Formats: sequence, C-alpha cells, structure tokens
Amino acid sequence: MPKDQFKTRLEIAKKRISEKNQDNKNDNPTSIGTAFKLSTELVAAVAVGTIIGFIFDKTFGTKPWFILIFFFVGVVAGITNVIRSAKNMQK
Amino acid sequence: MASNPMTQFNVHRIGPEIKIGTFDISFTNASLFMIISSVAILLIFNLGSKKNSLIPNKIQLLAELSYTFVSKMISDTAGLKAKPYFAFIFSLFMFVLFCNMFGMIPYTFTVTSHIIVTFVLAAFIFIGVTIIGFMKHGFGYLKLFVPSGVPAVLLPLIVVIEIISYLSRPISLSVRLFANMMAGHTMMKVFGGFVISLGIVGGWLPLSFSVALTGLEILVAFLQAYVFAILTCIYLNDALNLHH
Repeated sequence: MPKDQFKTRLEIAKKRISEKNQDNKNDNPTSIGTAFKLSTELVAAVAVGTIIGFIFDKTFGTKPWFILIFFFVGVVAGITNVIRSAKNMQK
Repeated sequence: MASNPMTQFNVHRIGPEIKIGTFDISFTNASLFMIISSVAILLIFNLGSKKNSLIPNKIQLLAELSYTFVSKMISDTAGLKAKPYFAFIFSLFMFVLFCNMFGMIPYTFTVTSHIIVTFVLAAFIFIGVTIIGFMKHGFGYLKLFVPSGVPAVLLPLIVVIEIISYLSRPISLSVRLFANMMAGHTMMKVFGGFVISLGIVGGWLPLSFSVALTGLEILVAFLQAYVFAILTCIYLNDALNLHH
C-alpha cells in the first residue's frame, strides 16, 4: 500500500521536525534580531533627546539649559526602551 | 588599488548631470544598484510565479519560501490585523535584503551603507505607522504616550520620555542598518588591505580573517534585513493594537 506507507513516512518526518524545533528553540533568528535591537535603542533615544534640547535652545535662546535637561531625559528614555525590549524578549 | 577603506562608499555620477533648481538628481552608482536590486526582485518573483507547478523548481521554491517566511513573521509579531500591510513589508524586506546581498559581491556598491538611504526608509515607515495609528484610533492614539497607572505628579516627565522614545524609533531603525553595513564593509576592506601589505609571508592570517568575515557579513546582511522588517511589524502592531 503506497498510500499507507506515505502516511507513516509523513508522520515520522513531522515528528522529527517537531523534535528538532524543540531542540533549538533558543537560537532561532528572532532572538539574534532582538539582541541587535538593544544596542542602538539606547543611543538613538539619547540622540533624539539632545537634538530636541538643541532645537529648543536655538529657538528660545537659553543656551545650555534645554540641551542639559533633554540629554538626561533622553538617557532615561533610552534606558526605558532597553528595559522594555528586554522584557519583550523574555515573553 | 584604492588603499583608503572608505573610498568604497563614494557616490559618483554616472552619465550626465541633471539638476532641478538647486537639487542634484543625477543618476549615480547608488541609484544604479537600487535599480539592479529592484529588477532582480521583480525577475525572481515573475519567474517564480509564472508556472505554478506542484513540485516547484528552484526559483519558484525561492519565491514561495520568502513569501511564507515574511507571512509567518507578520502573523507572529503583528497578528492577523496586519495582513493588509503584507505587500509593503514584503517589498521592504526584499529590497533591503537584496541591497545588502548585492553589496557583498566584490566591486559593487552597498546602497544600505549610506545613512540617508536607510533613514528615508525608516522615516517613511515612521510616518506611515503614525498615520495608520491615528486613522485606526483617532486621537486615542495619543494614549500611547500616557501609560496607565502613573501618578499625576510624574505624568509630565513620563509623557516627555515616551515621546522621545517614540521619536527615537526611526533613528534607531536607520542607524542600526547603516552602522552594521558600513562597519562590516570597512572591516573587510581593511583586512583586504592587510593581505596586500603583508605580502605572501604574513598575509595568510588576514586572508583567513577576511574569509571568515565574508561569512559573517552575509549573515549580518540577512539578519539586518530581517530586523528591519520585524521592527516594522512591531511598530505596526503598536499602531494597530493599542495596549497601554
């Protein structure tokens, strides 16, 4: 019976695939992708904060103050970003 | 032989100079490689979907595999609601992937190693996702900036932080792709230069290094395209399903 044979072969192959998937659950491409995400997350928020501070300073003429404040707010935002994406990774 | 590792990123004009007002819109090597990758994508998917045989040939297999890959990625990260945006994310992923991969061929130009290219892609995603969010939720989309359960005293600070973290998305998206591509290609050029300058005696070590780096760069080229697409899905998910 070729049809029966095919069915059993298919089942064996399916079982093997599911076993393989369980074995390397931890190194699927998603985890490498999210790891790459973390690195730039922090820097980008700091950069955005500093740029906003710079623009405010330029328009209001309050030279160092807004850039100082927004730099630190940017740092906080960056850390929040990193913590948030790290939490998403653990899900 | 160019000894400066950064000369590979030079943009130069091909053909005549075209100007509109003060804008220089001449055809450059960057535009050439964007066209090459777009044409390659079109060719593969045209040939791959021409003859839908049950047992696929190699090109059809390639087309079908990439289709299911992206389709699974979207349903995993953004859910069923994101299905209408499949075409956009798929073309984005394919474009970035092909630009990265064409850059791996020696003597070609890597389009994605220029921040302006990646930033334009990321800025369009950012603007598009924001518009989608406002269309779906109206002004309720602004609730994204106000997390629930925050004391009223802290609210102004939190809102500013949330806005900065929202605005940092296109920057982190574009800087990641650009920095990875540029750093990798510069490294390969530097190690290539070592091979030449150390000659036949000491050149074997940097040569083996550049072989390993080429493998790593191909991985990075794929991975960065994947990360670019998956982050677009995540941002889209935030816009479609507001859960803050």
